[in-house]
Amino acid sequence: MKKTLVVFAHPYLEHSNSNVELINFYVRHQHYTLRDLYEEYPDFHIAAFRERKRLKNYERFVFQFPLIWFGMPPLLRLWIDEVFDRDWLKEGEYNPLEGKEVYILVTTGGKERSFSKTGTYQYTIDELISGLIVSLKVFKADIKHIKIVYEANKLSKKEIILHKKEFTELLNQ
Amino acid sequence: MNTLIFLGVAIIMVPLARKLGLSSVIGYILGGIIIGPYVLKLTGNNVNDIMHASEFGVIMLLFLVGLELEPRKFWEMRKKIMGLGLSQMALTILLLFLVFISVGWRVDKAITIAMCFALSSTAIVLQTLQEKNNLKTTAGEASFSTLLFQDISVIPILAILPIVANYKAKHHDNEIQILIQKLPEWLQAGTVIFGVVLLILLGRYVFVPFLRYVSKSGMTELLTASSLFLVIGVSELMVVIGLSPALGAFLAGVMLANSEFRHELEAQIDPFKGLLLAVFFVSVGSTINFNVIQKDPLFIFGTVFAVLAVKFVVLYTIGKFFRIDTPQSFFYAFALSQVGEFAFVLLNYASDLYLLGPEMNAQMMAVTAITMCITPILLIINEKFITPKFIKEIPEEEHDYNILGSDVIQKKIIIVGFGHFGSTVGRLLKANKISATVLDRDSDRVKLLRSYGFKVYYGDATRIPILRAAGIEDAEILVLCLDDPDDNKFIAELVREHYPEVKIFVRAKNRIDAYDYLNSGVNHIYRETLGTAVDMAVDVLHETGMRKYAARRMGQRFMAIDKASIRKLAKMKENDDDITLFTTKEILQREEDLLAYDNLNFDNKNWEGSSSTDEEDEEESQD
Repeated sequence: MKKTLVVFAHPYLEHSNSNVELINFYVRHQHYTLRDLYEEYPDFHIAAFRERKRLKNYERFVFQFPLIWFGMPPLLRLWIDEVFDRDWLKEGEYNPLEGKEVYILVTTGGKERSFSKTGTYQYTIDELISGLIVSLKVFKADIKHIKIVYEANKLSKKEIILHKKEFTELLNQ
Repeated sequence: MNTLIFLGVAIIMVPLARKLGLSSVIGYILGGIIIGPYVLKLTGNNVNDIMHASEFGVIMLLFLVGLELEPRKFWEMRKKIMGLGLSQMALTILLLFLVFISVGWRVDKAITIAMCFALSSTAIVLQTLQEKNNLKTTAGEASFSTLLFQDISVIPILAILPIVANYKAKHHDNEIQILIQKLPEWLQAGTVIFGVVLLILLGRYVFVPFLRYVSKSGMTELLTASSLFLVIGVSELMVVIGLSPALGAFLAGVMLANSEFRHELEAQIDPFKGLLLAVFFVSVGSTINFNVIQKDPLFIFGTVFAVLAVKFVVLYTIGKFFRIDTPQSFFYAFALSQVGEFAFVLLNYASDLYLLGPEMNAQMMAVTAITMCITPILLIINEKFITPKFIKEIPEEEHDYNILGSDVIQKKIIIVGFGHFGSTVGRLLKANKISATVLDRDSDRVKLLRSYGFKVYYGDATRIPILRAAGIEDAEILVLCLDDPDDNKFIAELVREHYPEVKIFVRAKNRIDAYDYLNSGVNHIYRETLGTAVDMAVDVLHETGMRKYAARRMGQRFMAIDKASIRKLAKMKENDDDITLFTTKEILQREEDLLAYDNLNFDNKNWEGSSSTDEEDEEESQD
């Protein structure tokens, strides 16, 4: 089992329908460390050096967050700003993301067909979270899979559990 | 001399009973039996006097019950109390009455005894629930509601008994009844209303200002004296009007339940109540008449069995009817199946009214005491043999880890000190609908805050009884916001010693305070000089031309580093003072150095100064 860091950002978890269910898997498995950003940095003051140091200890990363106004939650954005370091790309520097597997799980209230060139929003989710994707690619991370849960606020408990199962099976491969 | 023997036997017997898993009441009664005229013959003739004197314990118990019974709380529980309590009382009285009639008792006697026996023992049940930590369970709440209703129904029963007695005979020379008997019958009901109105008026306009006046003197003894004065005064007053003193005490309690002195009064009266009740129970034990039991054991034990069986069946049925699950219903039914301590009072009262002959009285007293001794045994049987059969093994699979604490609101919080600091804490909690019990010892401030609608109680939290009355036993969070750091420290230490489970949040003046707290194991420390000073510095930095966001970041970094360094210094503080001075200097220098860097150009090795615990964990697992 790969040691996995889950970077989770949800500003309104207490009103969430599906994310509460989706994250309880990580808590239960010892190979996963759940980093709940909004709980850890409520005042948006990120301990960047500690975060950088931690990254080195993991072989795999999961980014999980809801889409907030067609983008990632601001604290996750800030986390990337503060933690990712251009110096990692310099010669002789250690790059904690290089070659590491990355999985992304995004939840949204919107319908699948809205997120397409011809749909209501005209942009796909990949495009909307491209900041994260491109950053990861710059650091040569290996993005394995991007899973999107649509209409997350309307799912029944059973459907959420099915999504969770699908995602965990992906991780357990 | 008798009192001495009573207390002595209580001291010996109660720990013994507790060791056997019995409630302390059983210990008292057994102790009473042992020193009574049938075993050791230690008690003299004046047991009855002592019993009368210690009946004040019951009066105080009712006063305390009244204090607990805030009108609003009562209103919230009304359905439970009415539903469970009324059906229990009505059904039990009816069934017992039918049983007694069917064995050929006189109607008035049957009604009297049925009413007395429908009550359960608040002392035994609450004690048991507390010992087993069962107060919050369904059965616990049901028991509490039922007991509450029973405690209240003592008052109508006290009122009904004379009517039942009148039904039979007009003459009696009970001095309690003198005034009321002289009045025509239609006016007798009037005195009850008059008494109640008088008490409400007194509670409104006399008690609270009186206590405020006394509390201003700041002397604890005076408050003790006035609390006792209040309870005894009210019960004497009731005797003069011709009402039951217990009713008076109860009403006085309810009137004061909403006042700021509730916890203070509770703390003052509680030890007296405990002591007097103990003496009361011992005296009950010592008056159990074994000759009576010997003379007609079949009758006594037959009655005991009938009473227990009827009460059990009624309670179990009600439990089931109100959808309590089976093991909980069993617990509820077993717990409340005994006859309560009020039966002693009521039986004595009834025989004063010539409703019962002395022999019948003695027999019924014996029945009451025996049922009280049996229930703890029944409860043990229930716990050991019956409950295990119903326990199902299905721990909910999906719900075992929930990051969001769903029961945030249920946590019990006590805030001590409600000045400018504490009230800020309290207001923010209140705005989020988190209720807290607030204690303050400035009676003027308490009065003012109450007029703004804050639920603040008067009480000096440096005393453990006050904290206990405020509910420290089941509190989860204690917030200390007093102005005087020594008082905060004193309470923190006191609570850590007695209630180590309680999380303590404390206001500290400065670094030196913070060291002390850290070294005594308190981890949530809030230095009043840190946050505001940093805010100020941030604004000054901005004024010098720095961008606001940059200044804010620096402020936050400063706080993080400062908090970490204070933890480090606290550890060293226990060592030599010179070293401390040196390290303080060194650390201050280091803080400055650390601040000189921002996240964007920071080297890993410089960060080591503020390691946190989970980081250390990760370092260990690095290999």
